[in-house]
Amino acid sequence: MADKDRPWTAFYGPDVRAEIETPAYRNLPDLIRSAADTYGAAKAFTCCLPNGMNGTLTFAQVDEMSDALAVYLREVAGLGQGDRVALQMPNCLSYPVAAFGIFKAGCVLVNVNPLYTAEEMAKQFADAEPHALIIVDMFADKVPEATRGNPIPNVIVTRVAEFFPAMPRGIVGLVQKHWDKSVKPVELAHIRLPDALEAGRAHVAQDRVEADAYHQSVGAGDLAVLQYTGGTTGVAKGAMLTHGNLLMNMEQSMELLAGDMKKGQEVVLTALPLYHIFAFTVNLLSFYWLGARNILIPNPRPLTNLKRAFENYKITWMSGVNTLFNGLCNEIWFLDTPPRHMKFAGAGGMALQSAVAERWREVTGTEVLQGYGLTETSPVVTFEPLGKTRAGTIGIPVPSTELACFGDDGTALPVGETGEIGVRGPQVMKGYWKKPDETAKVMVGDWFLTGDIGVMDADGYVRIVDRKKDMVVVSGFNVYPNEVEDVLAAHPGVVEAAVIGVPDAAAGEAVKAFIVRADTGLDAAALRAYCKEHLTGYKVPKIVEFRDELPKSNVGKILRKDLRAEAMSQIAAE
Amino acid sequence: MVGAFEQALLALMIFVIMLGMGASLTPRDFFLALKRPQGLAIGVISQYGIMPFLGFLLITFLPLSDAIAIGVLIMACMPGGTTSNIFTYFSKGNLALSVLMTVTSTVFGVLLIPVILVIYATALDLQIPRENIIATLVLLLVPVAIGMVLRKMNANVGAVTEFLGSALALFFIAFIALSWVPRNWGFLVTTTPATYVAAIGLGLFGIAIGYSFARALRLHPRNARTVAMETGIQNGPLAIAIIAFTFAGEEAQSYMAVPALYSLFIVITSTLVTLVFRRANTAAEQKMPDGLL
Repeated sequence: MADKDRPWTAFYGPDVRAEIETPAYRNLPDLIRSAADTYGAAKAFTCCLPNGMNGTLTFAQVDEMSDALAVYLREVAGLGQGDRVALQMPNCLSYPVAAFGIFKAGCVLVNVNPLYTAEEMAKQFADAEPHALIIVDMFADKVPEATRGNPIPNVIVTRVAEFFPAMPRGIVGLVQKHWDKSVKPVELAHIRLPDALEAGRAHVAQDRVEADAYHQSVGAGDLAVLQYTGGTTGVAKGAMLTHGNLLMNMEQSMELLAGDMKKGQEVVLTALPLYHIFAFTVNLLSFYWLGARNILIPNPRPLTNLKRAFENYKITWMSGVNTLFNGLCNEIWFLDTPPRHMKFAGAGGMALQSAVAERWREVTGTEVLQGYGLTETSPVVTFEPLGKTRAGTIGIPVPSTELACFGDDGTALPVGETGEIGVRGPQVMKGYWKKPDETAKVMVGDWFLTGDIGVMDADGYVRIVDRKKDMVVVSGFNVYPNEVEDVLAAHPGVVEAAVIGVPDAAAGEAVKAFIVRADTGLDAAALRAYCKEHLTGYKVPKIVEFRDELPKSNVGKILRKDLRAEAMSQIAAE
Repeated sequence: MVGAFEQALLALMIFVIMLGMGASLTPRDFFLALKRPQGLAIGVISQYGIMPFLGFLLITFLPLSDAIAIGVLIMACMPGGTTSNIFTYFSKGNLALSVLMTVTSTVFGVLLIPVILVIYATALDLQIPRENIIATLVLLLVPVAIGMVLRKMNANVGAVTEFLGSALALFFIAFIALSWVPRNWGFLVTTTPATYVAAIGLGLFGIAIGYSFARALRLHPRNARTVAMETGIQNGPLAIAIIAFTFAGEEAQSYMAVPALYSLFIVITSTLVTLVFRRANTAAEQKMPDGLL
């Protein structure tokens, strides 16, 4: 039934609830326990290395291990409810054990990108003030510098092949230590994760403590995760996500897929890092809830690292970003043997280019559905319903979500007008950690303003036209870089494209394109001629520059601001 | 010469190595290689068209004695062996295609080797020992098949087998290269420069021509690397067995000089080519950004 205020509910399937009243669980530990009760002996997580070596934990094992960690954190490390625990590791079996253990201890999880420099780590630690850090040995050498003057009392060290069978674990350990030297000696006081679990278990046996006691008083409004964002724009801000935010967003995003995903039967490829909110909520929480087997990939670079996972497991669903889908469609082994059990894939993190979605459809015979969200919204806001995709849109709002476009004066605009997208719903964060001023900047009442410029069709499909500040104005006409990039990326000779505005004597601003080309024969004239076929004249790049690669943030977004800064300094030099 | 024990040990090593190679493969890899048989056809053409002709050119333009010339020709007519599979694996080529090419060229060899020798050396009537051909195929296919089954049964067992097999392969390559020189020092110092050129050139030019040929026919670099290795790397032990089977005494010894020299230098040449191929493969890899990917 379509709601007058929410026309998009007409596109929901017959079994989809338009409104989700309250979360199905009191808190995340209850969800984790419930999944373990239902799927106990089934395989929950398999970590697959590039050479095919792997380790697996069942739902019951993850449940038992995370209990033991919770007891360790509370009884041995002496943490209390609400204390922060930083988690810094690539996808591996330790991740779910650690994350679930932190929740069960009633503590707050702080995701830290393992590729951060010591300096970046120090900034985040200083802000989040974690009482404990659980880190993989490969990156532990940065900890002493990152915690200088600000020590973290408890450090738990794990490894990528943790919980693997002895033989592959030993081989991986030897290779990491002596061959690629990716693991350096850990030079700070620490305990190994398996030892911490043993210590936790010993406490349970001795004192008869139960991990369940720690989260009895944790409710939907309590903080679960501090998820840092905005690292590429200066000040890092920790979005405060509550148990309720995450539980609700998990249900909101799975509600639309409910009819197509079978409980206890799906095999999910998790090549995106779990420390990112997209994989965290969708792959880790939602698919655990669904009883799926999660194939964890510690490092998907180079993409051949994914080959064994695709060969050895019957992947039915995967999440990815535009770069990943595009990259896979350029790998010969993927083209030769596309996955045969895939139902469809989910894209997020950055705009999915229609050329890439189309190519993916050709190669795999399945859809890639685009979702939209932000760290501050736990993250899912919109999703394309299967079978009802609409090119160029990010789909429709998920259940219990309101979306409106706002004008510069902070008032909601009528449907059909372009403005800054605002979101209201149970997935919107509590605010930024210790930054009320920053929170105030993005909240209008209970609406969260995303900074993305969009427009909603009359029936509820949403288009992102751009980020607020990236817009180019050519002789008074607005040009949205995404639109131009989409056209450029569809050219067969173009690998990647980025578009910015540069000052222009005649037009005020001119469109400039930076191109990574696949074919060196491609020249600017040919590309402009191609653009003219697809775009109004003012949108066609006036200047085309070819590059070997484009600057990207650590999450793979092309950094237009860097290109703009370069272009500006070039102009200044002239 | 190597004794029976060493021979058995060598066979066992190759068995374990091929077990590891097999554990890196899936049936789908073979179906794919068979689905596009142009790679196989190109392999047979380069193996029995280009290589014998290259051998013929070498003996025509180099000042070689008759015995050495015959050795070069015999070597040039040989099919590929497990060594080519091992180097294909290390140079990130298409191992399934490599195995199929070795099988095809070995089976075709029974028929084609005599025909080619009639074209280039009318007087030479080689006896091809069937049991060696069969042994070559068994030592290739049986462990590969077992390796594939192991991987199918348990991905970890497969991955560990592959790891151990490839580690043994590296040891094997180093062992051949390092142990051969002191054992044959006397032979090395008495060999003429022209013979060196022929023995080294056969492998080196074979790889280069095989690669160019495959690329000219628009094969993917991965498959072109495979064709190159298959073309240039010949089954040295088979050549030695054929000579031992056909000839006797002094005559057999003099014909064996080139296969023996070739077998040493092909390991060195292929190792260097593998390093080049691996570098090219890495350079051609898509660059993925940090973080989300």
